[in-house]
Amino acid sequence: MTSSIAAARPELAADVSAYRRAVRGYVGQQPALQRWRNSCYPSTETHMTEHAALMAQLFEGGWNRYGWPVEAGGFGGDERHRAVLYDELSAAGVDVPEQQMLLETLGPAVLRFAPALGAQFLPGYLAGEEWWAQSFSEPEAGSDLAGLRCRARRQGDHYVLSGQKIWTSHGATARRLICLVRTGSLESRHRGLTMVMVDSDTPGVQIRPIAMASGQNELSEVFFDDAEVPASRLLGDEGQGWQVAMFLLQFERAMYAWLSATVAARKLRELRDAVDELPDGGVRRLGQCYTDIATLKARSANTVRRLAAGDTVGPEASVDKILLATVETGLHDAARDLLPGEFLFGEGPLAARWRDDWWYSRASTVMGGSAEVQRGIIADRVLNLPTERTT
Amino acid sequence: MSTAPTPGFDAATRDEIAASLRELFEKRTGAQDIAPLLAELGWADVLAEDPATAVTLLFTEHGRALASSRALDDVILAELADVLPSDRRRAVIYPHPPEGSVALRCDEPIVGLSLGPLTDIDDAVLAASRPGGSVGLVALPAADVCVSAEPLGGFDFDSGWRIVTAVLAKDVEAVCAGHAWDRAVAAGRRALAAEILGVCDTALDLVSAHAAARVQFGRPIGSFQAVRHRLSEAYVAMAGARSVLDNAYTLAGCDAEVWAALIAKIRAGHAQAVLMRHAVQVFGAIGLTRESDIHRYVERAAALDALLGGHQALTEVVGSAFLDGDEVDAAFEML
Repeated sequence: MTSSIAAARPELAADVSAYRRAVRGYVGQQPALQRWRNSCYPSTETHMTEHAALMAQLFEGGWNRYGWPVEAGGFGGDERHRAVLYDELSAAGVDVPEQQMLLETLGPAVLRFAPALGAQFLPGYLAGEEWWAQSFSEPEAGSDLAGLRCRARRQGDHYVLSGQKIWTSHGATARRLICLVRTGSLESRHRGLTMVMVDSDTPGVQIRPIAMASGQNELSEVFFDDAEVPASRLLGDEGQGWQVAMFLLQFERAMYAWLSATVAARKLRELRDAVDELPDGGVRRLGQCYTDIATLKARSANTVRRLAAGDTVGPEASVDKILLATVETGLHDAARDLLPGEFLFGEGPLAARWRDDWWYSRASTVMGGSAEVQRGIIADRVLNLPTERTT
Repeated sequence: MSTAPTPGFDAATRDEIAASLRELFEKRTGAQDIAPLLAELGWADVLAEDPATAVTLLFTEHGRALASSRALDDVILAELADVLPSDRRRAVIYPHPPEGSVALRCDEPIVGLSLGPLTDIDDAVLAASRPGGSVGLVALPAADVCVSAEPLGGFDFDSGWRIVTAVLAKDVEAVCAGHAWDRAVAAGRRALAAEILGVCDTALDLVSAHAAARVQFGRPIGSFQAVRHRLSEAYVAMAGARSVLDNAYTLAGCDAEVWAALIAKIRAGHAQAVLMRHAVQVFGAIGLTRESDIHRYVERAAALDALLGGHQALTEVVGSAFLDGDEVDAAFEML
């Protein structure tokens, strides 16, 4: 039997509180969502497949379409609608799809700089039919992003890509990659960069998963061997890549932070429920994690409201990013310390999940601009401290 | 419609009010009563128009100036106006911080704190925990309380706070405080969080200026990554605390306000701990002396953190509540 696709309800797009009540009602009484409660997945691939099914479930009810523009398959509304959906799913103990995390990072930039691509592909994304990954880092360009070398040369109405990307989260399962590539000289640094969307099945593109210490394939590396990409796949103009990346980072540092905070709050409750007997200081550890998460939520809620109002969030977004890293590392360290036997030796799927997540939580101070880069941004651009010498 | 934070005063008006308050604290001499000075500014109107911003600005500047006054009493008494109506002049007796509770025990002689001398008041108001855990509010005639002749010394020798002792008669008239006392504590904690962050603002300015001016190895120490990162971390702690406080003010008057204010106080206390640890280090030896002013900020921030519950003890309170499933997540929703 086929289920019907829900229609847009303009009154929900116009009123975040009404949307919250409606989502809460849905999440509270939809039995199908049980499948994504207390979930443990044996592999990253299963995880993504299951979460794609959750995307489809949310899409069917229209719930993940609010907050995205009508032209791109959404139901209208703004960033706050998306934020409310993540909060309500997490509050009810339901997973937030990994695909939504990737979308928060990549979707707004695609819509802003390539609305036609957004209109073409976002509906399928929201329906769980495809997802995208972010390819910025390279073996020789991590924190020093402006030094990247992966090259795109114009050839007629195509660009030809050659080079390598690495640390692409979920690259191995993604349908498309959003790549920051060099179209100018290496010396032109951030001025000679261009953002391009590449289908992962393009001839000449090879994606290899990289097993994390946990054994999970969250990360990948991507090789381009004269891969041809239509010029219509550019986000913005040639040479505008850095500007697109900076726009994108606002969302990565704010929306992603909010989404992660709601998930962290759910995991902290799961930790509470799993703990038998707390060691000395355990109560305070839980209190510390709770207040860290509350702080991140208060901070990123404010940033999300600014984004929703159309403001540009500048270097201040690094504060959100640092608070997020504090939450991620603090929560997973608490799990490790408060469930010592289980974390180290437990054989069940829950123990395995905490271990997987612990390793992934270490990425919070590395990916998307390391903890050191974020502190440097605040020192330079918020506190106006004397510039650090690089020689 | 959603209850999005109301704009209140715009940025320019806020700056103007902050500047007037700064001037007020500069002109003020000693422990001069600030009520008449505020009245000169037309404070009642400012307070009526946007109370959250007004109180936040007042206490931020109070903190920045390291001022000492009984302004906090007014914030608390305002919340108790319905349960304890009176036109008498009143002050609040606070629990002595090390006791770690927000109410005084009434089965033994009371030892509390006042935020200044009590020479100009009629009643001293205190909250006493009664057998069974409920809280009763007592208004004692000033003549029945004993206030120390000298301000309290200790780590912050400049607080101006006094020790107050009293014995409650067995049949003392106590008003059941109910939720009003929780709201009063919440209002007090919000004001204290603003004051702590005000102390932090000035301390961060001082240490940033020092990092830019002090030269070692031929360059300002603020250009060293180790120093830059310390101050960035302090800034992050302060900015986070500021957001939690703004959120707590947005929820003033709602059911979630008590929980929101509790966490605001914790985060301000946490921010001062982070900042002051780094500030003292970045100042180097001079920061440990009275040649530099930074010690005064370190000391005041610590004293304010302890008032109405220090951040360490309150984090324990949050942890216990969370373990019991009594957390109020509605305090941290998207508004």
